Amino acid sequence: MLPSGVFFRDFAAEAAYLRTGPQRLALALFVLALVLLPALAGAYLVGVITLMFVTMIAVLGLQITVGMAGMINIGQSAFVGIGAFVSASLASKLGWPFWLTLPAAALAAGVSSLLFGLPALRIKGFYLALTTVAAQIVFPIGIARLPSAWFGGSSGLAVEPVSIFGHALLKQHELYYFNLAFVLLFALLAFNLKRTRVGRALIAVRDNDIAASVLGVNIGYYKLVAFFVGAVFAGVAGALLGYVVSYVTTDHFTLWLSIWYISMLIVGGMGSPLGAIFGTVVITALQESLHALGNAAAARFGSDFGAFIFPATNSVLGVLIIAILVFQPHGLLTGWNTLKAAYRIWPYRHHGG
Amino acid sequence: MTVEPALEAVDLKVSFGAIKALDGVSLRVDAGQILSVIGPNGAGKSSLLNCLSGVYRPHSGRVLFHGRDITALAPHRRAALGVARTFQGIQSYASMTVRQNILAGFHCRMKTGLLDALLYWPRAQREEREFSARAEEIIEFLELEELRHTLVGELGYGLRKRVDLGRALALGPSVLVLDEPMAGMSVEEKADLARFVLDIRAAHNTPVILVEHDMEVVMDISDQVLVMEWGRAIALGAPAEVRIDARVINAYLGAEEP
Repeated sequence: MLPSGVFFRDFAAEAAYLRTGPQRLALALFVLALVLLPALAGAYLVGVITLMFVTMIAVLGLQITVGMAGMINIGQSAFVGIGAFVSASLASKLGWPFWLTLPAAALAAGVSSLLFGLPALRIKGFYLALTTVAAQIVFPIGIARLPSAWFGGSSGLAVEPVSIFGHALLKQHELYYFNLAFVLLFALLAFNLKRTRVGRALIAVRDNDIAASVLGVNIGYYKLVAFFVGAVFAGVAGALLGYVVSYVTTDHFTLWLSIWYISMLIVGGMGSPLGAIFGTVVITALQESLHALGNAAAARFGSDFGAFIFPATNSVLGVLIIAILVFQPHGLLTGWNTLKAAYRIWPYRHHGG
Repeated sequence: MTVEPALEAVDLKVSFGAIKALDGVSLRVDAGQILSVIGPNGAGKSSLLNCLSGVYRPHSGRVLFHGRDITALAPHRRAALGVARTFQGIQSYASMTVRQNILAGFHCRMKTGLLDALLYWPRAQREEREFSARAEEIIEFLELEELRHTLVGELGYGLRKRVDLGRALALGPSVLVLDEPMAGMSVEEKADLARFVLDIRAAHNTPVILVEHDMEVVMDISDQVLVMEWGRAIALGAPAEVRIDARVINAYLGAEEP
């Protein structure tokens, strides 16, 4: 809903992301804040946010498969892992630069997702979700059993740092800016996809696949597109993760991580890339603050207490997620939109959907 | 009659186990014609439409589009040829706005591919603008201007059926297949919809195949009426002839009289 009195004279103006002066100003300030952040925040926080950017790319990809196209994927972290190992192997063993390892990782993850996405042509819902769990199970076994000269086997791989014009990115704030650039790019791609013919076709497949096919959408093709694009995002996230943590093992890419990705998406709101962004930020913030709280408590009350507090923080996190879903079942994005609409029509009452 | 039929079905047979949903049904519709299909529930009307739009593949028989055999063609390929259809009940895309629903109907007329969509470069932007303008023409025709940015899931039943029609029109149909477009509508809404159907025919000479239970509407706007019972066609002719056919009165009209 737009502020009152704003209208458009042509479709281009109407379709623009930033349609009013204040919106442009807000985005400019937001990007400025992101750019200035490393100068203001401590190294630990910068590191946490860098990892959050990586997670955000994976969740933005998941939003395409699960949110737009409506196919539950509980194997996203396996595709992140495939990207991470392919990129790590190419970077460390063949010395490929990042601008080659990233596309290779994206492609490897995308292509392997097609294998697990193929059942989507025949099955839906929980049955399909189960085949994506298969990806999650096959991935660590595959890495462990393949020749260790390829992917380091079960002991994992060290990753050569990103090098830009001969300068290795090792400092925390350098990695921050590197990942910031990618998260901005992939957020833009995700928003673009949603508002074009391809995005509408994906949503059509989710909303009503029979109607979509009768109205000209090749549903098999678009289901595979949804898996492929979602996994391409995951592959890029994996490659970036490798550069950030500089060592990859299969332990990073568990079913739990996939479930975290899904919960970020659900908490944020499935319908839009903005939901993925909201969810990633909120869940990361909750995880980190509870962790900090747990650390502080353990430091104060001793390590016996620490053994108790860490499982407890996970339970608190679970309760918080349930609370969010009880009060905002369609995700935080819906709440945000309602709030905006209420503000704009104030002092009248908000009603309707 | 040397005119080539726009859409023709020849001896269609479909069965589910022992039940013969369609047992040798044929029909044809020519340019500018409105053909209504009537019959009691379970007569096989929806199975017939599903064969025409490709959701079912008949066990035997053929579907011809302007003389071309499309029996084995997938639904989305038929849509690209111009076989457009609306559905029984509500089958619009609930999470999209009215305009997005109609834009989604343009799917096989638009070209933006995956890469174009991700990058949203000028080519994709141009196409989006061009088709937004075309969607507005349909919105204007169906008198949905105030609702263009409303989510279809929030609309009432009658309006959603109208959006369904708009989405089918976006295909630029050479044949329009409407499955109970007026079921559950108020008298005014039915009158509006009948007017839209007649306007579409008047503007583009589009042949229409209409499944409908409201006999008044059927008798008013159809050129031909096909009456079905138990998967078989029991009568075909102009409304005035069908109305007095003894088999029809017995099977369908008579059954409804108190």
